[in-house]
Amino acid sequence: MKTKGHKAFASLRAGVVATVAAALVITPLAVANAAEVPTFGKVCTTEGVSTGQKTTSLICAESSSGKLTWQRVRLGGSYAAPVASLTPPKGTIEFHHWRGEDKAVLQSIIDKFEAKHPGTKVNQVIMTSGDYGNLALTKISANPKAAAFVTMRGGQFDNFMKAGLLKDLSSQRYAKQNFIQSALTPGTVDGKIYGLPYQSLFNNPIYNAELFAKNGWKVPTTWTQTLAFCKTAKAAGYIPFAWPGATRGNAGQILNSFMMNSAPYATVLKNATDIDKGRADLTIDWFTNIAKQYRQMADAGCFPANATGYTDTVAPADFAAGKAAIYPTGTFGMSSVTKLNPDMKGKMKIMGLITTDAKPYYEGITNNTFILSVNAKASSTDQKIANAFISFLATAPIAQEYAVGTSQHVSVINVDYTANADLLNTSDIMGKKLLLAPRFLFLNQGVVRDKLEDALIAIVGGADITKTLADTSKIIKQGLGA
Amino acid sequence: MALPAFAIYSFLYLYPSISNLWNSTKRWDGVLPPEFIGARNFTYLATNDDLFLKVLGNNFKFAFVVVVLQTSFSLLFATFLLKNTKTTIFLRVVYFFPTILSSVSVGLIWLFLYNPNYGLINATAKSIGIMDEPGINWLGDGRYALYAIAITQVWFHTGQMVVIYVAGLQQIPAELYEAAEVDGASRWQQFKNITWPMALPTTAVVVAYTTIQSFRAFDLVYAMTQGGPNNASDVLVTLIYNTAFASYKFGYASAQSVLLVVTVLLITWLQRRTLRVNYGDK
Repeated sequence: MKTKGHKAFASLRAGVVATVAAALVITPLAVANAAEVPTFGKVCTTEGVSTGQKTTSLICAESSSGKLTWQRVRLGGSYAAPVASLTPPKGTIEFHHWRGEDKAVLQSIIDKFEAKHPGTKVNQVIMTSGDYGNLALTKISANPKAAAFVTMRGGQFDNFMKAGLLKDLSSQRYAKQNFIQSALTPGTVDGKIYGLPYQSLFNNPIYNAELFAKNGWKVPTTWTQTLAFCKTAKAAGYIPFAWPGATRGNAGQILNSFMMNSAPYATVLKNATDIDKGRADLTIDWFTNIAKQYRQMADAGCFPANATGYTDTVAPADFAAGKAAIYPTGTFGMSSVTKLNPDMKGKMKIMGLITTDAKPYYEGITNNTFILSVNAKASSTDQKIANAFISFLATAPIAQEYAVGTSQHVSVINVDYTANADLLNTSDIMGKKLLLAPRFLFLNQGVVRDKLEDALIAIVGGADITKTLADTSKIIKQGLGA
Repeated sequence: MALPAFAIYSFLYLYPSISNLWNSTKRWDGVLPPEFIGARNFTYLATNDDLFLKVLGNNFKFAFVVVVLQTSFSLLFATFLLKNTKTTIFLRVVYFFPTILSSVSVGLIWLFLYNPNYGLINATAKSIGIMDEPGINWLGDGRYALYAIAITQVWFHTGQMVVIYVAGLQQIPAELYEAAEVDGASRWQQFKNITWPMALPTTAVVVAYTTIQSFRAFDLVYAMTQGGPNNASDVLVTLIYNTAFASYKFGYASAQSVLLVVTVLLITWLQRRTLRVNYGDK
C-alpha cells in the first residue's frame, strides 16, 4: 500500500499559498489598514489578508508584476457549489477523537445533528492526543461502533489505511464540493479520498503583539534577528520563547520550522526519509546543523530557564500572563491561552520561525489534520450515520461554529472567521509560502521521531551534540531492526 | 468452589500469559497478520537492544531506591505508630491517605512540586539559601528524573507498607519489650534485638511486594516524564508500552514483557532465599 503522503508535500509546495489561502476569511479592517477598501485589482499592503473564502472574496497577493494587489481567492475545488448534509438512518454511533478541548463545541454540533435527525445519536469518545496516537488503532479496530473517527496525518493515517479501517469517500459529493481540495491530500491514497482533514493548522510560533509593540520589538525575519531578539527580550526580563521542552509533542513543533529552511525541499524529503528508513544516521550534516541551531537558540537565551523541565502547562500560562513573548507551538494553542487569560483574545499574532539568513525557502508551516473518516468495518447502517455526521460537519455554518468556537481554522469552504479575533489576526500566515509540516515525514513515530526529538531536547539541555546524535542513531537503528 | 476460581484465574491470567508468550515468537505490527519468527525477538533483545539494557538498568536503580527507602520509612513510622491510641490511629490514616489517590493525580501534583521554575521544592530551597538559581531541573535533567519519580513512588506507597508493618509488629509479644526494659535496654537496643529480628517475616513480604511494585511501575512515570528526558526515566513497563503502542511492535513488546516477568521472578526468588537464611524460615 503506497500512500500519497510524500507526494503530497511535493505537490503542495508550489501552490500552497493560493490553495491554503482559500481557507481564509478575514475582515480586512481587522488587520489591514482601516482605510484600505478591498477592490479587485487595486494595490494592497498586507500580503495574505483576505475578505473571505467565497467565490467573490479577495485576497491580497503578489501579482505577476510583483506588486501586492487584491485578487480573487482561489478555492480548491473546481467542482459545483457546496452541498447540504446527508440524511442518516436511525441508530447510535461513536465518534472517536483526541480534542478534549473541543468537547463542548462538538457536543453542541452533535446536539444540532441529533435534533435535525431524531432517533440518530452520536456519542463522543475522547482520549488525550498522546493516548490517541498510541491506542486509537487498537481500540477502533476492535470496536465497530466507532463508526466515525479521526486520525492524525502521517503514520497514524497510514496505519489505519493498512488495517483496512478507512472507507472510500471519493464518491461523496460533500467531500469534493465542501472542502478545499488541496487540503485533502493527507487523506488521499492513490487518488481516492479515505479521510477528510477538518483542521487547517499553522504550526508556527504565536507572539504577543501587545508585548512586542510595548517594547518596540520587531518580529524577527532572519536567524540572526531571531538570536538577537532572544537576547533583547531576555535582557528585558521576558522569556523569549515559551518552549515546552518537557513535553515532547509540543516541543517538537519547532522542528517543523527548523526543517523547512534547512535545505531545498527535495533534500529535506530525502534526508528525512533516509533517517526514517534507517538508511542515514542523525550524524549527517543536515541533521547535525539542525541540532546545532537548537543549541544556538539555547545559548542565546531563547528558551526558558530549565527548558527541559518546562511543561506544556506552564508554557501557555507564562505566555498568557505576559511573561513570555512567543509561544512556539501553533494556532491550535491559542484557545488554551485565552482560556487562561481572556484578555489575550485579539492580542496574538503568528510568525514564521526563520532559521536562515539567506532567502528562506518557506515562511511558515501548515498542517491538515484531524482527518475525518468512516469505519469500513462498521455496519452498513452505522457507516451511513457516520457519513451523514461527517457531511454535517462539512457544511459551512457548522464548520464555522467549530472554527470560531475552538479557534481552529478549518478546511471547509465558505466559512467566515470574523467572530473570532484570534483566527482573524493569525490568518495572514495563509498568504505566505507555507510547507506542509515536515516533522511528519518521520513516519515511524515511536522508533524514530520520538527518539530524535528527545535527542534535540537533550541537546538544548546541554548534552554533547555529536555523542547524543550518535547514541540516538544507534538506538533508532536497533529499534528499526527489532 | 475451586473450579470457578480456577476458571476466572485462567481467563484473566493464564490465557493472557500464554497468549503473550505465543505472541513473543512473532513479528506483528498489530495490523497485518503476525509472522512466526521463533526466538528471534529474544535473541535480538539480548544482543542488539541497547535501549532495553539501559531501561533494565534504570528499573534496577528505581527498584533499589524505592525498596530501601520505602521499607526503611515504613518500618520507622510503624514503630512509632504501634500503640492503638487516637493519635496513632489518626496518623496511620494520614500516612495511608496518599495510597487512595489516583496515581495520575499524584503524578500531576508532584509534577507541580518538582517544577524547576515555580515548584514548591525549588522555591523553598532557594528561599532558605540552599539552592542557587536556576535551581535543580528535577524531571528535565537525566541525572535526577528517575530518582525524583522514585521519591514520589515512596511517598505514594509508604503508608500502605506502614499498615502491613503495624500488623506484623503488633504480633511481637509485649513481654519481650517489658523484659528488655527491666534489663535496662535502650530503645535502639530494643529495636535492634527484638523488633528487627521479629519483623523479618513482615520485611520479607514488604520487600517482595515493593520490588514487584517497582518493576510494575508505569502510571507515575508516564504521568510525570513519559520516560524522558531521552529515556533517562524509562522503566520496563513504559518501554513495553511504547514498543507496542507507539512503535507498533507487538511481538517484540511481548518478548520484552516475558523478560520482565522472568526478571521479577528471579529477583523475588533471590530475595526469598536471602531472607530465609536470615530469619530461618523453613
